[in-house]
Amino acid sequence: MAITSPSDSDQRSGAPGYILSRLEDWARESSLWPVTFGLACCAIEMMAMSASRFDVARFGSELFRASPRQADLMIVAGRVSQKMAPVLREVYDQMPEPKWVIAMGDCASCSGVFNNYALIQGVDKIVPVDIYVPGCPPTPDALLDSIIKLKERIAAKSSGRHGAQTAPGVSIPRNGTAR
Amino acid sequence: MVLDGVFAADAISLPADGITTVSVPLAELSNKISRVRDDLGYSRFVDLTAVDRLRRQDRFELVYLFYSLDRHEWLRVKSWTDGEAPSITPSVPAANWYERELFDLFGIQFHGHPGLARIMLPDTWQGHPLRRTEPLGSEPVDFTVTRKVYGHD
Amino acid sequence: MATTETDRRELLTVNMGPQHPSTHGVLRLELTLDGEVVVHCRPVIGYLHTGIEKTFEAKTYVQGVVLTDRMDYLNPLGNNLAYALSIEKLMDCPIPPRAVVLRVILAELTRLASHLMFVGSMAIDLGATSPFLYCWREREKIMDFFEGISGQRMMTSFIRPGGVAQNVEPAMLDRISEFIEVMPGYIDAYEELLTGNPIFRERTEGIGLLPTDDALALGVTGPALRGSGVALDIRKSNPYCGYETYQFEVPTGRVGDCFDRYLVRVAEMRESVKICRQALDRMPDGPVHTEDRKVMPPPKEELAKSMEAVIHHFKLWTEGIRPPVGEAYVGVESPRGELGFYVVSDGSGRPIRVHERAPSFANLQALPKIIEGGLVADVVACIASMDPIMGEVDR
Repeated sequence: MAITSPSDSDQRSGAPGYILSRLEDWARESSLWPVTFGLACCAIEMMAMSASRFDVARFGSELFRASPRQADLMIVAGRVSQKMAPVLREVYDQMPEPKWVIAMGDCASCSGVFNNYALIQGVDKIVPVDIYVPGCPPTPDALLDSIIKLKERIAAKSSGRHGAQTAPGVSIPRNGTAR
Repeated sequence: MVLDGVFAADAISLPADGITTVSVPLAELSNKISRVRDDLGYSRFVDLTAVDRLRRQDRFELVYLFYSLDRHEWLRVKSWTDGEAPSITPSVPAANWYERELFDLFGIQFHGHPGLARIMLPDTWQGHPLRRTEPLGSEPVDFTVTRKVYGHD
Repeated sequence: MATTETDRRELLTVNMGPQHPSTHGVLRLELTLDGEVVVHCRPVIGYLHTGIEKTFEAKTYVQGVVLTDRMDYLNPLGNNLAYALSIEKLMDCPIPPRAVVLRVILAELTRLASHLMFVGSMAIDLGATSPFLYCWREREKIMDFFEGISGQRMMTSFIRPGGVAQNVEPAMLDRISEFIEVMPGYIDAYEELLTGNPIFRERTEGIGLLPTDDALALGVTGPALRGSGVALDIRKSNPYCGYETYQFEVPTGRVGDCFDRYLVRVAEMRESVKICRQALDRMPDGPVHTEDRKVMPPPKEELAKSMEAVIHHFKLWTEGIRPPVGEAYVGVESPRGELGFYVVSDGSGRPIRVHERAPSFANLQALPKIIEGGLVADVVACIASMDPIMGEVDR
C-alpha cells in the first residue's frame, strides 16, 4: 500500500497556508463521525455515550454512519473474533483518509479477560490504533475522554495520516507521514 | 413412576440439581428420544451439549435436555460416543444449530443432519477447541514485572 | 419443457451484516430476494465466538462469574444468578433470606434495563429516535444503582455462589424504591409514543408471524414464545429464589407478530416493577452470603482471631471452591428466555465443563421462519422483535 497522499500541509507555506492547515484540522476534529462498529458489551456503553446523558453529539459525533465510506473514526467496541477479523480489516480499508481508530475496552486493546484461541489478541494486530481505552467496559465518560484526546491530537496535527503499513509501536513523526 | 416401561431402573439417576437423568446406549438414542418426546410428554427440546470425559472409549458424553409443558419438569438424556451420533434434527428442528455447534467445537459427526457445517469458527479452522486435549490457545502476556524477574529485559 | 414465470425470475442474494446498524450485534444474514420478498434467509453466526466455555475450564468457579457477565451482556446479573444457582445446587448450599431478596431485586432491575434497551433499540431501528433517548435516560438511572451497589455499571459480577458480594445499604434501597415509584409513569410515556403510534403499528402488526407450533418446535423461549400465546415463564413454572411468593402476571400475545412481542416485553416491565416493589417491602435483615466457609470467605475481622478462618481463606484463594463430583443445571428466566448453566464438576477447583443454554441461540433458529415470505424492509423489525444478543449466541 503506498504511503499516504502527500500531506497538503507539507506543501503549504506562509501565513495563509498555516491558517488553512489549522482550519483543516479544526474541521476534521470537530466532526468526527464514527462508523457503527459495536461488537459486544462495549457497544452498549458506546450507545450510552451517544444517548442524552453523555451526549457525544455536542463533541461533533452527531451521527454514527453505517457506511464506512462516510465515516472517519472507527471505534472498535468489543471483542474481535477470528471470524470477524477479516471483516474488521475490510471495513477499515473502506474508510477514506484521514481516518482514526479507537480501540475501546480491554478486549479491543489486548483481548481483556479472554486470552484464548478464539479472539484476536488486541485489535492493533490488524489495524493501527490511535487511542486505547481501558475498561471492561469503559464508562461512557472514559470513551468521551478518549474522543476528546483524539480531537486534541488531530487539532495539534500530531496524529499521522493513516494508509501506510504501520506495525504497533511505530512512531508517527510530526510531519504527518508514517514510515 | 412415569419412566417405567421406557427405561430400566438402573438407567435412571438423580444428580444434584434434581433433574431426572436417564442413560441410553447410542444405538437406541433416536428411538428413546422419540419415546421421551411423544410418549412421556417431554416435548420441548431445551439443550444439547457434550462433555469430554477423556476416556479411551466412549469419550464424549452427549447430554440432551427436554422439558414437559404439562408437568413443568426437565428430563436429561445421556449417551456416550467416540465421535459419531445419529442426528435428531429431522424430528427436532430445534436441535439443528446445537448439533452443528458440537460438530464444530467437539468434532462429533451427526449422521442425518441436513447441513452439518462449522457454525462458530471460520470454515477454514482446523481442530476442535472444546476437546480437553486441545490447548486454550492463550498468548503469553508480556508484563514488565516478569521481564525483570526472568531477566529478559 | 414449459418455462414458467418462476423460471424467468431472477433471485438476488444480499448480504446483511455482520457490520450493520440494525442487526443487534454481529449477526450476518444471507437474504435471497425475489424483488422485495425474502425467499430464503440463512443466518450466519460465530462472529463473536469468544471461547468462553473453554475459558471456564481454565478458571476457578468464582473467577468464572466474571465470564458469565459478558455472555448476555444486557442481563449480566441474570447470568451471574443462573451460574450461582447451578453451583449452589452442586454444593447444596443454602442462601440467607436477605441475599435471596437482593438477588430478586437485582435480577428484576436487570430485566427492566434489558427491556428498556429493547424498546429503545426497536424504536430506533424502525426510525423513531425519541423513545431511544427516553429509555436510555431510565437505563442510566438503573446503571447508577448498579454502580452505587457494586462499583461497576454493567459487568457487576455481584451475584456469586454463596450469596451476593456485599451488603446493600438502606439508603440505596430507598433510592431504588423511589425509582420504582415513578417507573410506571415512564412506561406509560413510552407506550404513548409507540403503542398507539400508527406508523409503529403499521410496521410491526402482522409482521414476523411465529405460529405457536413452530415456536415450540424450534425451541423458542421467553417473550418470543409468550408473544405466540404460550404462557411459559420459568419464574412461574419452576420458581427459584422465592419467586413463588411474589404476585405477578405472565403476559402473553395473541398472534405472535412483532407487535405482540413488543407488547409482551412492555407488560413484563410493569410486572418487574411490581416484583421489585414487593421485594423491597419485605427486605429482611441478616447476612448477605452463606456462613459456609467452604463457599464464602470468612470476614476480615475473623482472620486475626481464628486459625481455621485463615486456613479457609487460604484454601479459597488458592484452590477456589471445590464442589463435589456431579453436574447441575438450573433454568432461570432471562429477559430473552430460558437461561441455564450446565456445570460439570470433577471435585477439583476448576470445572471440567460449563455450558450455557443461551436463549438467543434457540430463538435465532426461528429467525428464518419469521423473515421468509415477508418483505426485506420488515427484516429489521423481525430481528429487533426477537431481541437477540450475539454475546450469548456465539459465546
